[in-house]
Amino acid sequence: MTDKRHLDDTELDGLFTAARHRTPAPSPDLIARIIAQAEAVAAPAVPTPTRPGVIARLLDAIGGWPAAAGLATATVAGLAIGLGSPDTLDTLSGGYLATAGNSYQLEDLLPSFGDLMEEG
Amino acid sequence: MPFDALTDASDDALLIAFGNGDAAAARLLTERLTPRIYGYAARLLGDRAEAEDVVQEAMLRLWRMAPDWRQGEAQVSTWLYRVVTNLCTDRLRRKRGLALDAVPEPEDGQPGAEARMQEAARAAALDGALQDLPDRQRQAVVLRHIEGLTNPEIAQIMEIGVEAVESLTARGKRALAAGLAGRREELGYSDD
Repeated sequence: MTDKRHLDDTELDGLFTAARHRTPAPSPDLIARIIAQAEAVAAPAVPTPTRPGVIARLLDAIGGWPAAAGLATATVAGLAIGLGSPDTLDTLSGGYLATAGNSYQLEDLLPSFGDLMEEG
Repeated sequence: MPFDALTDASDDALLIAFGNGDAAAARLLTERLTPRIYGYAARLLGDRAEAEDVVQEAMLRLWRMAPDWRQGEAQVSTWLYRVVTNLCTDRLRRKRGLALDAVPEPEDGQPGAEARMQEAARAAALDGALQDLPDRQRQAVVLRHIEGLTNPEIAQIMEIGVEAVESLTARGKRALAAGLAGRREELGYSDD
């Protein structure tokens, strides 16, 4: 005697079997997308090239750290000379540098130039 | 690992191989696991396009956690079914009342046209009735009776006890049996 209000287990199993046979299949496109995702995840991260900073580029332009050291030495020396008194400079140059009211003529510095002018 | 060795490898071993950078392992895992979780997701959601999204997301999560996968701790398929179940539940909560789209294409090698039509009618009727079940009952019934998993496996996937699984499948089957009884003749069952 069949219970009209319910399918029996055999009938229900028949439906499950039919459903198993007709399970929707994934499209080849979906499979391809998933494989592509896997490859993207597996790929090692590409290191992004870092742009050298301003200081690094300046250093490269003048020839690196050794050149920078030379430049620094020259800068310090220049600063020291600039800060030193004119007297010291006079001493160093033997009083040849021009001062107000006591300037040298061209012949003083280049004696042969005077001779040349006289000879014509 | 050579390709022949890969084809015989367990899901576990393939996932670890992928985690170590073996792309061929990912291909095999995709071909092995995607049809199972896609069919399951399509039945839970009643919508193939949404099932594709869910499956793609679940597989992406699998690839990302591959380096941390510990052998023997869980079955890869169980883990995936759980992710798919949760993703489907989230989607169903957001969007309800979808009808299952077109009946799947008939497979080759099936019996005659009449039998094929009857099988299609039965599958479609069941899929329709499944959509009327509460989410948890539908998940349990599909995992048990269509995916063919054991109750302990389903318990792991649904994160509940085995007794709760038994209760859900029993209630789900009863509801299906009652809901489809009126269509007995249409489904090719004699009414004596």
